[in-house]
Amino acid sequence: MNEKDLENDKIEHLLRRAHIPEPSPLLKERITTEARKVWNQTSLELPWQIPLRRLVASAAAAVFIISIANFSSYLALKKWRPGDVQATREQLPDLETLPEMLYSPFVRHLVSVNRRPSITDASALRDYAERVRQALQETQQNGASNEQVPNGGRSRLLPIQLSPDSYS
Amino acid sequence: MNRIQDNILNENQPDNMLREALGRNSPAAVELMWDRYANDLLTFLQAMLCSRHDAEDVLQTVFVRIARKRHRLARARCLDAYVYRIARNEASRLISRRKREQIAKVRTESWLMVTENNQELGDLVEQLQVALAHLPQPQREVIVLKIYRQKTFLEISRLLGLSQNTVASRYRYGMEKLRILLGNLT
Repeated sequence: MNEKDLENDKIEHLLRRAHIPEPSPLLKERITTEARKVWNQTSLELPWQIPLRRLVASAAAAVFIISIANFSSYLALKKWRPGDVQATREQLPDLETLPEMLYSPFVRHLVSVNRRPSITDASALRDYAERVRQALQETQQNGASNEQVPNGGRSRLLPIQLSPDSYS
Repeated sequence: MNRIQDNILNENQPDNMLREALGRNSPAAVELMWDRYANDLLTFLQAMLCSRHDAEDVLQTVFVRIARKRHRLARARCLDAYVYRIARNEASRLISRRKREQIAKVRTESWLMVTENNQELGDLVEQLQVALAHLPQPQREVIVLKIYRQKTFLEISRLLGLSQNTVASRYRYGMEKLRILLGNLT
């Protein structure tokens, strides 16, 4: 026996001079009563129910994860769907809302003509033709009245070219 | 050889009784569980928590959990290890709750008792308690089970689900630390 073992024996001897008390009868009564109460409240699970319940829980978790993945995929691809493009067109029917810097007035006019619904109704077509005719007549009348005003022999439709760099 | 087989059978007899009571779903199993585990578990929990009051609370939680999960206990390969695992988990939960709530546990609560009514011995026990509280928890568990429950290394290894060598080395390191801590007393 070496010195270390002797030291250990001394320590063990010291430790054994104390003891840890056993649980009191009161504690036993308290704990067993509580445990029995829980015992009676919970029904015994049948052994075959355990794997079945695990299977159901796994299936539910899988369905949940797949539906989350589907939803996130739907959100990610939403802007690329054709139906949504139509919705975008409908959201901007007013030409005033178009960004001006991209379109000249002429292009805006073309866009607006293209965006108007096609005329299929005969009466609407007749009205439209009538409106065009009136517009043409007004233009002709205006042209006739303006011809009496001297404008230097130039067409009024073309602006006066002040210098060769004016159109650049 | 026959003697070894008899020993194994005798060792397993309480296990079988308990499993049978659990299988019959008889509340009498609670009494059997108490008789078999309460004493050792309370000691083990006090070694983990360094508090008799907390150990009693956790012991109650352990018995309630056992009653709730009795079907699992009945099918457990090693009853003792299963019960000690529950106790360890519950005690660890309490320790982490203490840390989370930053409760500075005052380790002045007496959980070691003197065998005789003697003032000098009272002081000694207090020093022992402080020294044990300074040991790492795994070493304290092994020392307390060995000294105060007279368990062998083999029994402790089975209860805690460790190898016998690990238990022996924890005991040895723990005793070395105690020798340093209690150097003035030896």
